[in-house]
Amino acid sequence: MPDMESAPAAPARIVGVDESVLAAREQEAAPRRDVLFDVSDLTVSYAEVPALRDVSLEIYRNQVTAFIGPSGCGKSTFIRCFNRMNDLIPSAAVAGTILYHGVDLYGPEVDSVEVRKRIGMVFQKPNPFPKSIYDNIAFGPRVLGWKDGLDDRVERALRRAALWDEVKNRLKASAYSLSGGQQQRLCIARCLAVEPDVLLMDEPASALDPISTTAIEDLMHELKRDYTIVIVTHNMQQAARVADMTAFFSVEVDEESDRRTGILVEYDETPTIFTNPGDKRTEDYVTGRFG
Amino acid sequence: MRVTLQEELDQLEAALQEEGSLVLRALQACMNALEQSDLELADEVIAFDDEIDATYLGIEEGIQSLLARQTPVAVDLRLVLAILHDNLHLERMADYCVTIAKLTKLVHEAPQDEALVEGFREMANRAEEMIRVALDSFRDRNVSRAEALVDLDELIDRANRRVVGHVLSLGGDPDLREWGLRMIIVSRCLERIGDHAVDIGEQTAYLASGEFREFTDASHRPGTTPRDL
Repeated sequence: MPDMESAPAAPARIVGVDESVLAAREQEAAPRRDVLFDVSDLTVSYAEVPALRDVSLEIYRNQVTAFIGPSGCGKSTFIRCFNRMNDLIPSAAVAGTILYHGVDLYGPEVDSVEVRKRIGMVFQKPNPFPKSIYDNIAFGPRVLGWKDGLDDRVERALRRAALWDEVKNRLKASAYSLSGGQQQRLCIARCLAVEPDVLLMDEPASALDPISTTAIEDLMHELKRDYTIVIVTHNMQQAARVADMTAFFSVEVDEESDRRTGILVEYDETPTIFTNPGDKRTEDYVTGRFG
Repeated sequence: MRVTLQEELDQLEAALQEEGSLVLRALQACMNALEQSDLELADEVIAFDDEIDATYLGIEEGIQSLLARQTPVAVDLRLVLAILHDNLHLERMADYCVTIAKLTKLVHEAPQDEALVEGFREMANRAEEMIRVALDSFRDRNVSRAEALVDLDELIDRANRRVVGHVLSLGGDPDLREWGLRMIIVSRCLERIGDHAVDIGEQTAYLASGEFREFTDASHRPGTTPRDL
């Protein structure tokens, strides 16, 4: 079998493809990646005890990036840094930098409310407001004073979250009348209604049945054309299915103090993580021999 | 630890080794049949292939079921894929033994050339050794031993070229010529068995390193080891 990557130009003549086409195809194959978040030496501590230490990685635009790892590895702590959710915890301290579009997310001039508008978050358990389906979606735009074309905005958000067809005839019904999977898509639609740039999802499907899970995964695949998605998941196969890039976090235990700190072990393209990981700890985790 | 997955992987690997030992038996038997013009034994080799096919299918179904249920990843995935390939390589080897047995039946009344038969004996011994090395190095995940298959293969390849040269020099006797042409195929079968053993070695290297590479590459470095003579 010829080595496909370094194959000489001869096969091109055989199949009648000219070399420029081949070259173009090669360029296409090489992923074009824009860095959206540039994280360097990030350490997050709660009451001065580090929960996550020295994380550096880049998150790419219009890709799905998954964080996996055992409980306590700091992956949820990490994802909360991307929209400054840790600001809400008084004892939390963030050291290191996260550049978002080149701007320091924790810089003094940055407004955390603006951050959370542009970087939306979906949680493990669907958390709709005790309001109608319509009002759930319209809530964000109203807060922002976007009064014009609210109906269109609501419809667009629901369509993007693949929920419109299921709810279009009962927009005034309570959000609680929806199934768990529908509620989760409602929460995604609620994020989308304020036109964010990034969607953070902290185990968005772990409370859902398999059909609803598939719906959320399909949705991620659709949404990454327009948004950048970061997801924390316990379900490794979910990461394998939906993510372009996967970061594996683990826990380091200090024998003396028995302190547990999350660390980033390996970050690579998802197929590499699941076929030929570079670190033994990653291999042990993804093959189920540890964790 | 995923106990079920590990058990199933162990079972598949054991079945592959079992298939390998069946192939060795088929190879020994078909060469004995050829040397001794033993038609009965040739028929047995042909019938014996059903047993090898059954093992082959068993492994194939086991892999299908495992992939559907267990979603192996990383080294487990590579092991499953390597077994999938090795299974096919072994089954092909067995098919070559059947071909040799069938040729034995076709030529049993023709005159034999002792020098050539002796050459086959040597090739068959080397092929046997290669199958053993391929299976053992796979079991032990021993890449350097697997890589040694290339050198062993070179010896079979040379012997194959000698057979072709010898048959070309057999002259004009039509009976001898027919026998010679059929013997070229026997030689080719043994040579191909060696190639498949090298391919199993490549799977061993893939399993250990995660990257597939050919030990020798007939289409890129002409003159090194032309496996496809």
